[in-house]
Amino acid sequence: MSMRSKFPTAWHAALIAVWIGSEWVILPFAIDAAQSKSPPRAVQPARAEPLAQPAQSDPYDIASKQFTLNNGLRVVVAEDHRAPTFSICITYNVGSRDEKPGRTGFAHLFEHMLFQGSENVGKGEHFILVQNNGGSANGTTNSDRTNYFETLPANQLELGIFLEADRMRAPSITQANFDNQRLTVQEERRQSYDNRPYGKTYEAVIGLAYDSFPYKHSTIGSMADLNAASVHDAKEFFRTYYAPNNAVLTLVGDFETDAALNLIRKYFEPIPAQTPPTPPDMTEPDQQGERRKVIEDGFAKTPRLDIVYKIPPGNTPDWYALDIISSVLANGVSSRLYQKFVKEKEIALSVYADASEQRGPALFWYSLMARPNTDLGELEKLLYEEIARLQNEPIAEWEFKKVQMQLRRQRAQRLYSSRSRANSLGHFAVYYNDPELINSIWRKYESVTRADIQKVARAYFKDTQRTVVTTLPKSAAGDER
Amino acid sequence: MKTAKKRLGRALVGLGFCLSAAFLTVRLPPLHGQESVAPPSKVERKNKAPVSRDILRVKLPRPIESRLKNGLTVLILEDKRAPYVTLQLYIGGAGALFEPNNMPGLAHATAAMLSEGTQSRTSVQIAEEIDRLGAGLSAGSSFGSPDTVLSASGLSDNFDDWFGVFVDVLLHPSFPAGELEKLKQRQRAQLREQRSSPGFLTSERFNRAVYGDHPAAHVAATLESIDKLNREALSQWHRARYAPGNAILGIAGDVHAKQLIVNLERRLAGWKQMDVKQTWPRNPAPAKARRVVLVNRPNSVQTTLALGNIAIDRHSPDYMAMVLMNHVIGGGASSRLFLNLREEKGYTYGVYSNFSALRYPGPWRAGGSMRTEVTDGALTEFFNEVRRIRDEKVTSEELEASKRAIIASFALSLEQPARMLGFAITSKQYGLPADYWDLYPAKIAALTAGDVQRVARKYLNPDALQLVAVGDASKIKPALEKYGSVEIFDTNGAPLAAAETP
Repeated sequence: MSMRSKFPTAWHAALIAVWIGSEWVILPFAIDAAQSKSPPRAVQPARAEPLAQPAQSDPYDIASKQFTLNNGLRVVVAEDHRAPTFSICITYNVGSRDEKPGRTGFAHLFEHMLFQGSENVGKGEHFILVQNNGGSANGTTNSDRTNYFETLPANQLELGIFLEADRMRAPSITQANFDNQRLTVQEERRQSYDNRPYGKTYEAVIGLAYDSFPYKHSTIGSMADLNAASVHDAKEFFRTYYAPNNAVLTLVGDFETDAALNLIRKYFEPIPAQTPPTPPDMTEPDQQGERRKVIEDGFAKTPRLDIVYKIPPGNTPDWYALDIISSVLANGVSSRLYQKFVKEKEIALSVYADASEQRGPALFWYSLMARPNTDLGELEKLLYEEIARLQNEPIAEWEFKKVQMQLRRQRAQRLYSSRSRANSLGHFAVYYNDPELINSIWRKYESVTRADIQKVARAYFKDTQRTVVTTLPKSAAGDER
Repeated sequence: MKTAKKRLGRALVGLGFCLSAAFLTVRLPPLHGQESVAPPSKVERKNKAPVSRDILRVKLPRPIESRLKNGLTVLILEDKRAPYVTLQLYIGGAGALFEPNNMPGLAHATAAMLSEGTQSRTSVQIAEEIDRLGAGLSAGSSFGSPDTVLSASGLSDNFDDWFGVFVDVLLHPSFPAGELEKLKQRQRAQLREQRSSPGFLTSERFNRAVYGDHPAAHVAATLESIDKLNREALSQWHRARYAPGNAILGIAGDVHAKQLIVNLERRLAGWKQMDVKQTWPRNPAPAKARRVVLVNRPNSVQTTLALGNIAIDRHSPDYMAMVLMNHVIGGGASSRLFLNLREEKGYTYGVYSNFSALRYPGPWRAGGSMRTEVTDGALTEFFNEVRRIRDEKVTSEELEASKRAIIASFALSLEQPARMLGFAITSKQYGLPADYWDLYPAKIAALTAGDVQRVARKYLNPDALQLVAVGDASKIKPALEKYGSVEIFDTNGAPLAAAETP
């Protein structure tokens, strides 16, 4: 799994949730990758048959079975009796990359609509049913997919399956509820972007770094586009993207597989398949030179430097090497950038490095929060020296081993949470058409060599592939010390 | 896997108070001053979903408890589901609560410096060793907490190695002067940076309003207190206050409890018994009059609100009723505040409430962020909800649904050993009976609508609520003035004289 949470703020807003309550924890995974393919499987015979029985090689592997229903819904089931709970997750093959110009933010706004009721569930009743039965739920949208999930006590299996099926089959999309959620989403935008320091930076970076529309705009979208969105758009969007053959159902936890499958078939099989949507054009022209921009921020107290490079999609050999680089640079107190910039030179307050995992052209993202009085030119120069070091010499043996240990830790941790596993299976299925990656991903990391790391640092961290955005406090705000 | 199932004491039981089919439809109070933007979007219960009437009642596993020769209490929860171990050490009496009034941040700085150098390891060596082992290590003390807390986690197959680093930083920190200067510089920069966050500014004024002179009023160090930090003060805090007799070490995960206890006795033998006098500050008292505080954050597009007052401590006989009352009014996405202000009005991305109940009374607090233009309407609804839960009894349907939510949610905690251990640590910290968590569901189940109303009336007095708003004063001051005379501060925490106010 990719490593996350190196940066203390929520600016990395590629993934946004329908609500943030005390129970909601953003899961420490991220996986995204190439092919916009993940085509719906050919329609299967009525009887659901396991497609694959993965070989058990490791006691901590996650054993799952895959099925495809008549209507093309892919189902991945991982029975596991470690705790008397289960998690269900539906991952739809639609994200903000599928939006049209003039309708940015729509995929996420639509996600909110699926909590506004369906034929047999009232507006707001989804959360009421889940919470009153001891569970927790949420939905999230990013550029490449949308997911919905519940974790519930084991005896509420039918409830979890029913709730997801009812809204896939017959959501109630009304003008009143649409207007209400438009307002809610606009508040989410204000809370997460417009009213916080560095809230403009993320959109400035992707807007400058990308040329093609799918990743050039944020998942939260613009206020103007949110205002322009209509109920008609919502109905159209539902028909196009929310069909069973454009989704993956993953179920992990304490149930008997046969019984669970019977319930899944009972509730999901009547939902008709639709013509598969056309995948978006993800081609991105080659960047021809460095791009730079300076923005002012009325809330920021200290300058921030964001530097991104174009990198390949997730689940490619180069991406795994780049993800290891991000860990060497910024994961943990012993990481290179933390030691150099925060501890030794004392010119940054925090450092961040991340190989974003996307299905299309991705970004390697550096972000440095400056100390007061830091010379930003010096900060930038020192970062390039660190990048040159990666290009000119292999990382140390101990650094290499450290990353493998950190991966082992993540792997062990993930065994506890049924939700983490359900969401990961859905993610791997939709991004890479390969839920088994939940087990094989560790071998992909292990196959990266120190030479590969040096090679990708040279291949992707080129001056001409770079976008630099400097965020400066706007002194006109009037409350500077 | 079957054994795990058995060990977790899984049992399906129908509780006596289980619901009849329905959840009620929440009746909302009439709108004060019709909002032109308010769309007729109504929460609705159709009650058609297939719900199991049973509650999956779970018995939380009890950790093995022992006491080392030096007085340290040890709780071990064996859990072999993953090759992983988490541990938490709560050192009572060493927390920020006991800091001298002019030294806020001393306890946390002491804890943060533990991993910046020991008698045998440098800061970098500690960091590298922990990261090489794939482990995690952190230490700190939050403001208002009586404890310093050290946490560590990692793989079980190299537990001995990372536990060794943990013991070293706990017992042999050297507080190197150079590293301390660096820490102070980081803290100074953070102090400045956090003033850009509306959440920080809200908590700063809210805690000051409800706690007054009590140490929990602090939410951050000050430039002055950071300047005062020195090696002697930190090592003195460590030497005099890190007492094993006041501490609880909780360990959960893939360990063998009996062997581990023997191992701990040996490895923690260097942690000597000592007496620490804990002088508890005088308890904070609930404010008797409403107070309205506004932090002027120019150009804010939202107002961040917090309102509340001191309520109860952890030993209060009203604790269970507060859990239930809070759940009804603001405990999540199915609570009254959320359904009213978000799902019906579209004012906010989310509003919630919570309460803090430690060894001393803490506040019940509600709040959230909403666009500047609806600050007035949002305040109206917050006060409406407070009045409503005081004036009207919750219906039996809403009461039973909330009880069910609280009781049924225990099953989910069985996924995480650290959470199960957390229940045991809480019991130990507050001296709760051994069967406390076993009886908890029945106690929640026994609460009545009268109990909910009683604690709402007792602790949620609208005329004594402390109200804090962070936003653009030039736009929201009139809305706040409806609730009393408004004290205004700037984002640096300085009061603004009337002449300077927007």
